[in-house]
Amino acid sequence: MRALLNKEMRLAASILSYLFLGFALMALIPGYPILCGVFFITLGLFQSFQNAREANDIVYSALLPIAKRDVVKGKFLFCMFIELTGFFVMAVLTLLRMTVLSGNAVYRENALMNANPFFLGAALLLFGMFNLIFVAGFFRTAYKFARPFVSYIVVCFVLIGLAEALHHVPGLEALNAFGFEHAALQLSLLAGGAAAYVLLTWLGYRLACARFDKIDL
Amino acid sequence: MNIVELRGVCKSYPAFRLREVSFALESGKITGFIGRNGAGKTTTIKSMLNLIHTDGGEIRYFGLPLQGHEAEIKQRVGYSTGTVSWYPRKTIRQIAAITAAFYPDWDEEAFRKYLSLFGLDESKKPIELSEGMKVKFNLLLALSHRAEVLILDEPTSGLDPFSRDELLELFQTLKEHGVTILFSTHITSDLERCADNIVYISKGEIRANCSRADFMQNYGKEGETLEEIFLRLEREARA
Repeated sequence: MRALLNKEMRLAASILSYLFLGFALMALIPGYPILCGVFFITLGLFQSFQNAREANDIVYSALLPIAKRDVVKGKFLFCMFIELTGFFVMAVLTLLRMTVLSGNAVYRENALMNANPFFLGAALLLFGMFNLIFVAGFFRTAYKFARPFVSYIVVCFVLIGLAEALHHVPGLEALNAFGFEHAALQLSLLAGGAAAYVLLTWLGYRLACARFDKIDL
Repeated sequence: MNIVELRGVCKSYPAFRLREVSFALESGKITGFIGRNGAGKTTTIKSMLNLIHTDGGEIRYFGLPLQGHEAEIKQRVGYSTGTVSWYPRKTIRQIAAITAAFYPDWDEEAFRKYLSLFGLDESKKPIELSEGMKVKFNLLLALSHRAEVLILDEPTSGLDPFSRDELLELFQTLKEHGVTILFSTHITSDLERCADNIVYISKGEIRANCSRADFMQNYGKEGETLEEIFLRLEREARA
């Protein structure tokens, strides 16, 4: 598993996957749809798939002394590594906004989503969607990625729009909690996002393995 | 003893069919796999490496079916896929270091020896290599993990006559060390130089599978060279 991840990180990955982790800092931008940071992190991951295709990485990996499904596992491990690193940075910044920056006017007077556990849960949901729609979609052919990426973009921006707007719906104001307000609700939404991430990633992995097993390289 | 066995391997594409391919590789022997372009050599080799799904048949290595034992079999098999360029913008040093981690039996000494023998500079990237040097780089990886079987797809294509000679010489040395080699080619002089056995494929069907001496005796006419035999057989197959 370590050798697989190492191969992904050092041979197959695009430098942009690492650089685009910087978009996690968007969680600090006031008056900005901060969930877009998740999209940019996944855009960085997309560059690695493009890089891997140009470098014949899939065939090279399939020729290594590993089972065919391990080729899929390598890609999922790398995606999860980048996603969870991005998530960790966003979580630290969210904590900062929930504590020392919670009274800051630029964050209080914000029509868009606040950085809180609900935001983190939504971020995990989006990462899970990337794994299910794009990564599993890529393994349908192991070389075509336009259709799965466009499908992911559509779903991603619909979900971002929804998440950013939901707290304006009467009765759902608690979604935009500041500091540690509505802690039980907020933490359960984060837990829901984490569960969705695990489920979507697991489904994506199973689907990708089944699809990759059927194709000829 | 047969170390690799193919039995009734079939694969259909819209414009091509591999029909009931069966042959075996004898331990410690060099087998030349010959056929014209498009005859089915690469499809057969891809089946042997589990890169494509066969429609039927069975492939066994060391008595084990490839399906279900892929990882352990590939530990003991080396392969080279001609001039394909892996990770064109990474250095040979980087690619080899990552690849080595997958092989507990990686032989750094052999890697250094073949690096020097092939005249490869490990700070170079595949994109900077000529086609012949790419073949050598692929062979370098195949030879550096103490493989018991080498499956080489057109290893001599693109090589200059000196490098080809060195490579065929190397095949003989590896054979003496007990390595079993299958190499595909369309260059008959390669077979004359080193093949113990010949597998001849035409239009997706195995037409001959025997020792080189038997092939000359059974398929050749008096005074014919190996090249003349293949040319005649191909002409007859097309007629």
